[in-house]
Amino acid sequence: MTRRDWIKKAGKWGLMSLFMYPLYAFIVNVRVRPPEEVRVSTIPKGNEPVIEPQFALFETAKGPIAVSRQCTHLGCTINYKGHEKGFLCPCHQSHFSWDGRYISGPAKKDLPRFAVKRLEGGKGYIVEIPRGLP
Amino acid sequence: MSSFGRLAEYATAALLVSIVSGFVVAYQYEVADPFISCVAMEAAIPFGAFFRALHFWSSQAFFLLMWIHIAQSIPRLEKLKSSPRGRIYWAVLILGIVPSGVFALFSGYVLRWDATGKAAGTIAEHLLLDIPLAGRSLDRFFIAIANEGLDRVYAVHILLAALLWGIGTWYHTRRVFLKWNAWGLILASCGLVSTVFHAPIDIPQDMTSLIKGPWFFLGVQELLRYLPPLFAGVIYPAMPVMVLAGLPWTKDTKPWLWSIAGWGALYAGLVLIMCMRG
Repeated sequence: MTRRDWIKKAGKWGLMSLFMYPLYAFIVNVRVRPPEEVRVSTIPKGNEPVIEPQFALFETAKGPIAVSRQCTHLGCTINYKGHEKGFLCPCHQSHFSWDGRYISGPAKKDLPRFAVKRLEGGKGYIVEIPRGLP
Repeated sequence: MSSFGRLAEYATAALLVSIVSGFVVAYQYEVADPFISCVAMEAAIPFGAFFRALHFWSSQAFFLLMWIHIAQSIPRLEKLKSSPRGRIYWAVLILGIVPSGVFALFSGYVLRWDATGKAAGTIAEHLLLDIPLAGRSLDRFFIAIANEGLDRVYAVHILLAALLWGIGTWYHTRRVFLKWNAWGLILASCGLVSTVFHAPIDIPQDMTSLIKGPWFFLGVQELLRYLPPLFAGVIYPAMPVMVLAGLPWTKDTKPWLWSIAGWGALYAGLVLIMCMRG
């Protein structure tokens, strides 16, 4: 390869990289979004939680807790099994206790909890869900 | 025309039917309201169920014909092996078409956003995130459901159609003469199947105990129960593609082809176990 060919090739790759970097930076950027606030008007009765698409809300002696319904293994939406008092992942069968503690299966980690605010006058709750990836 | 050429033509015709029917479906598909728009196509929009089914079945047909065409091409590898240009040509075709074909089909399942689609999408995103160093960037390029919803999956689904067509025609054959009988046969057979069998969509049932992924993903789903996500969901599925792409650089292809066959037998076993789960 002559020096001229080498310079031509380097120029081509250099130009391509110059174009690729802005493209990469544009695509991988994550826009920061405020947490999503979900209002729950139903009050959990006894041991039965209020099931929302993203969490299950329980009323305990220490106050309300909102347990995430996203499996810590690969993110599938887990289901609450009332008779077992726990959660089951329908994708890879991980089990969790009602308060989100890991029991068995490939997940290995406990379910996260979301911040809950109780509304005045027993009007329900506000659950704050962080958006995007942790 | 030889059976090799005819099958290649059928594969191209299936891809064309898939792309055209995909554009038709896109007119009524709403990325902001994916599940409802799919249900509306099935239940309320005239011929919606037919066009969804046509897109689904022609895509499945392309996927299967693509694999048969690759298998038919292996005995012709000797010719390509002799020159560096030929070896690179084969590798570009395999690495360009196989992952694109798999992801185009897979993202189609995700875009309907029913229970199967949601699970498949979030699993794929977490699998990408498990790739060291490049995981987050790859997720931003191809999926990013957690941050962007289905926007990127939809964009990539359309981009892959263009890529498959570009590599499959411009790069692979330079130009294509698609005969009316091949195009007609594929359109008629997929059309006939579409009038009888609808494209699948899950009915919402909140507390199901088991969700089964797309048929070609069942083996991975089973393996993910036992092994770390990076191996079960990324390295293991990539193995046969890498071996296939590297075939022109091997002296004797037979042991490598046997390794792909062994991989296939193991995968079929995993699919069978997953199918038997209630």
